[in-house]
Amino acid sequence: MDVFTRRSFIRSSAAGAAILTTPGLLGCARNAGPRGAASGPPGQVGAVAQKAPMPPSEQQALSWFNVDKSTLSRALSELSSRGADAADVYFQHSRDNSVTMEDGIISRATTSVDQGVGLRCVIGDQTGYAFTEDLAPESMIAAAQTSATIARGGKAIAPVEFRFHDHADYYALPSRWSDVSIGDKLPIIQRAAALARELAKGREATIEKVTVSWADSEELVLIADLDGRIHTDLRPMTRLWVMLTARKGDVVQSNSANLAARRGLDWYTDARLKQVAQEAVDRTMILFDARRPPAGEMPVVLAAGASGILLHEAIGHGMEADFNRKGTSIYSDMIGRKVAPEFVTIVDNGTQEFERGALNIDDEGTECERTVLVDKGVLASFLHDNISARHYKVPSTGSGRRESFRHTPMPRMRSTYMENGPHSKDEIIGAVKRGIIAETFTNGVVQIGAGDFTFYIKNGWLIEDGKVTAPIKDINIIGNGPEALRNVTMAANDSKLDFGGWTCGKDGQSVPVSQGMPTALVSKLTVGGENA
Amino acid sequence: MPDSTRAHDLLESASDAVTMAKRAGADDVWAGVSRSRSVSFTYRDGTLEKVEDSTSRGLSLRLYVDGRYSSHGTTDLQPERLQAFVREAVAVTRALQPDPHREITDPELFANRPDDELERVDPAIAALDRDRREAWCKAMDELAHADERVISAECGVFSGHSESASASSNGFSGTAEGDYAGYSTQVTVREDADKRPEGSYYAVGRFLGDLPGPESIAKEALKRALDRIGSRKGPTTRTTLVVDNQSASSLLWRALGPASAAAIQQGRSFWAGKQGKQLFSKKLTVIDDPLLPRGLSSRHYDGEGISARRLPIIEKGVVKNFYVDTYYGKKAGLTPTTGSPSNRVVALGSKSLDQILKAVGDGIYVMSWMGGNSDSTTGDFSLGLRGFEIKNGKLGAPVGEMNVTGNLADLWQRLELVGNDPHPFSSLKTPTLAFADVQFSGS
Repeated sequence: MDVFTRRSFIRSSAAGAAILTTPGLLGCARNAGPRGAASGPPGQVGAVAQKAPMPPSEQQALSWFNVDKSTLSRALSELSSRGADAADVYFQHSRDNSVTMEDGIISRATTSVDQGVGLRCVIGDQTGYAFTEDLAPESMIAAAQTSATIARGGKAIAPVEFRFHDHADYYALPSRWSDVSIGDKLPIIQRAAALARELAKGREATIEKVTVSWADSEELVLIADLDGRIHTDLRPMTRLWVMLTARKGDVVQSNSANLAARRGLDWYTDARLKQVAQEAVDRTMILFDARRPPAGEMPVVLAAGASGILLHEAIGHGMEADFNRKGTSIYSDMIGRKVAPEFVTIVDNGTQEFERGALNIDDEGTECERTVLVDKGVLASFLHDNISARHYKVPSTGSGRRESFRHTPMPRMRSTYMENGPHSKDEIIGAVKRGIIAETFTNGVVQIGAGDFTFYIKNGWLIEDGKVTAPIKDINIIGNGPEALRNVTMAANDSKLDFGGWTCGKDGQSVPVSQGMPTALVSKLTVGGENA
Repeated sequence: MPDSTRAHDLLESASDAVTMAKRAGADDVWAGVSRSRSVSFTYRDGTLEKVEDSTSRGLSLRLYVDGRYSSHGTTDLQPERLQAFVREAVAVTRALQPDPHREITDPELFANRPDDELERVDPAIAALDRDRREAWCKAMDELAHADERVISAECGVFSGHSESASASSNGFSGTAEGDYAGYSTQVTVREDADKRPEGSYYAVGRFLGDLPGPESIAKEALKRALDRIGSRKGPTTRTTLVVDNQSASSLLWRALGPASAAAIQQGRSFWAGKQGKQLFSKKLTVIDDPLLPRGLSSRHYDGEGISARRLPIIEKGVVKNFYVDTYYGKKAGLTPTTGSPSNRVVALGSKSLDQILKAVGDGIYVMSWMGGNSDSTTGDFSLGLRGFEIKNGKLGAPVGEMNVTGNLADLWQRLELVGNDPHPFSSLKTPTLAFADVQFSGS
């Protein structure tokens, strides 16, 4: 059903337990996965491609996709044959690997290769788009012709010469995932499972199931555009989940924790594995004592880190310029207006090293940047792709992202967080007479126009008379974006990003994002609790 | 049945992949090949905004090597690259640990495959041309703007065709083909200075002729957007919950989600130990029906090749069957049924929506959920909602920014009324439902 609705959502990587489902008939949806003993991308360039420095040079990337500049020129010429303000060709090769340990054995692995090229023609606000997985020049040209039919005018001028554009690298790794064998990953997975069992010993309930899921991936993109620019990027990603089921008498509870970043094998230190295993144990065990808070409106303290989900939903999506260009966002007419207290500064940043939401260039080839959405309480900038940037006559913020070559880019968040505020965590909790702390989350959603948003709290705490009194669980929170921002009455000096991975969905496209938050107080949100 | 030549080609590709993997050292192999085309037109505020037209294909493999298992997919089908991919896939499998529960599907499970006519292919969809799609978009766009408060409206016409074939090293072969087409509209309207409520509606089906006209979709989306104007938060209270047939689908989807051997064996299901027991209200009967003509999830066999058959899941509230795939079936000691749901059909009651509202008197009518989640282990849930107050047996003012919270098993025991109006555009065929005494949080 969700295929036909057009809402934005975010979910924790951990919640996407798709990894536990049976492979479907066509099983070629992109899974995660390590690809062990394998060679580099299926490119004949063999050793060169496998050992390419990062980011790959223009020539390495071109040979990776078996394409030369004259073919690029022909494709762009076809794309703009009926006129174009912009056109681009987006090549992508991804390798995703996953490994699962369940019931004490490393019981399955998946590998997935997804390769193709998307061809886009843009004229004004109109877009023609086609893609093909077949990289033969004839297929590419046919797709370009399909895409070009959106335009009805005279021919635009396509480039003959191309210039390679270099950029910063926020995720340079000592070794590439395609050079890591599956044998090197297995001990990490086994260690994480053993740690979870060890750390749960002597706790209030018995661990019945430990599942550890591993994912690594590597994505090479090459973008050539109508202005004759060529961009390349090599994007690593890895995630590790620990999922637990525990029993105490007749009561069974399960929960999970995960780590995610654009990192390599060396990132999985024992300390880091202990951290995620401990989180999974604590989050599961506390559920045996947790209950529902009372239902209704009350103050909500957002714990530092993952609570950035509030920003993602309450303001982030509403600041994506496509919604504003179309007039469908509640923030459409609010630039320059005071929307929050002066201590509130909210940023969307693609340049944080190794973050899940980091990007060297966006999927239109624009270098990523740190974009201030709310500057000291004042609404400062939307998030732009090239289409909205042309519309608003401003530079793109490097926010044009797409799930894959099968999709057109649109303005998206990267890593969204609030900067430090003037208060302390203790002050904030002490200021609440009767309310809750929101600590871990599974998912959220927003309605761009009405501004209503929700997020789901998996773990949290009840506050009574300024003191933390009892654990709570499984409640949905609902609020209105602009109202919630106005009601951020306190923010602490402990801002941090969540260590777990988040995936943001919009118009059927999923992209990895990060989020962060200092401890903060929203004076009033509607809490989905239960009254006796 | 698919066009015989193309189906034969796909099946041959699948068999070739099986041979290739066997040569690379696999003991058993399950291969699937697919090809699909999709076209979508999006119209916004008088202009054709986006045209997407694409053909896609891919190969998937499940490998059984030395008692070990892995699965793989690729869209890079150049012969020499594919061979390297398959060799690597076998090598990856060898690096894993043996899994005694993992075996290729027993041929007994794919014997007696039904051949009922499923009516999955509509020639009228393949015949849709650009002018027709654009004309529909334009007509919808005009109707979606038929109110001065409209800020923007997006109308879409989409369709697709897919073909697939599967083959296995132990004798399975099968092909399938299907079309779909649909319309969607999303309308944003102005309310006061800043608020911009939206409404949307869609229709999708296997046959164009089964769908309501595109104009009716646009009209309904506009009505839904205008109906949101003036929405406010209702009170925190316990009252009757009525869900429309579309929202009922996702509520049932949540309840059925953990009804699998996978969830039960992994200790993440509130259905565990409930076979043959009264877990839900006596008013609830759900049958998984893969043989429904024109059903969005109809099929002759599932992803593991298991022959399709009608499977009662819940009968008058009693748990009759779980979704059991071959692997978790073996692990949990359950006989395989199918691991993947098809069409889920809810036994209908006799009342229309109006009759249900009248019978209920006062309550909340939910037309869409907003976020929220549920815990499959305990059944605890909490969901955001948008809808209307029910006052004196009639729909009242729009409400939103509210949550409904409880436990799925407990909620479904409170099911009191079942409508006669199954949702037509989903493989979960749910009617309007009413649940007594449910916790809402609002102001």
